[in-house]
Amino acid sequence: MELSEDLLKANQRLAEENKLFLHQNGVCTVDVMGSIGSGKTSLIEKLVRLLKSRYKIAVFKGDLTTTIDAELIAKHGVQTVAINTGKECHLDANLVRKALLKLDFKKTNLLFIENVGNLICPAEFPLGSDKRVVVVSVTEGPYMVVKHPFIFMEADIVAINKVDLAEAMGVGVKHLEKDVKTINPKAMVVPTNCRTGEGVEHVAKALGL
Amino acid sequence: MHEFSVTSQIVQSVLAEAEKRGAKKVTEVHLVVGKLTFLGLDQVRFAYEALIKGTIMEGSRLAIAEQEGIVKCGNCGYEGGFKYEDDPLYHVPLPTLKCPQCGNVVNIAAGKECTIKSVKMMV
Repeated sequence: MELSEDLLKANQRLAEENKLFLHQNGVCTVDVMGSIGSGKTSLIEKLVRLLKSRYKIAVFKGDLTTTIDAELIAKHGVQTVAINTGKECHLDANLVRKALLKLDFKKTNLLFIENVGNLICPAEFPLGSDKRVVVVSVTEGPYMVVKHPFIFMEADIVAINKVDLAEAMGVGVKHLEKDVKTINPKAMVVPTNCRTGEGVEHVAKALGL
Repeated sequence: MHEFSVTSQIVQSVLAEAEKRGAKKVTEVHLVVGKLTFLGLDQVRFAYEALIKGTIMEGSRLAIAEQEGIVKCGNCGYEGGFKYEDDPLYHVPLPTLKCPQCGNVVNIAAGKECTIKSVKMMV
């Protein structure tokens, strides 16, 4: 018997539905991916602080367990939905769809989705976002980009974070940037220090916000 | 890395199809897995064996064919394998989204799939 069911495509279809639904509700969506501890939450916090006077922002915060990061973001007075995946290593379009049901769309026109900290699996599961950001920090060492080419192929924007520590780490920001551009010439690269907020306005600009 | 959840979807899909057709036994499942997915085939096979126990799929053979990564160029029309950058620093050749023919940015056309191609069952 012939069957042609693509199991990863099922997620892609759901992601397309999410995208359509978000557009119909006038929401622009940004998916933030990166390693554990690369600075995804800090980047979102700084973007929220920068943009909350101009946009009605909501944040989905993916984590295996706990709502620690979600609470950090909620302190900025924006709608926050914690998505606990339990044991899954990535968010998928179905988890995002369920979280969308909890959103007040009258109060939202910009949605940030923070994926689970992981440079592997999220590349495989589009969520329905308009733009995908990957955060990579210099403290992860000089080979982080070349070791994970596929997630960088998915990226529209790459934030190279913790640039203030580059010298101490002996990691070249320019070198990481070159690696990103080699893999994905269309990705925009922005050096950042999300603790102080340095470079975050350039991330916003690269996102067209 | 998420072999268990993907494989459990595979098993559920096959079981649903088998039930729809009133099958008594599933004997073969043919899967196509793209090389750009992060699915480890050994783990898929391991999860498959664990998941089919006690179902009408128990004892069935899982055949997996791998699909190479294919890119398409909107500029020069190239369709084929990736362009790899080979720098001793990278240790392994690095796949890139540059067209091997004209250097433009390409789109990925194949290699990300995980498809059940066919299933053999006894009705």
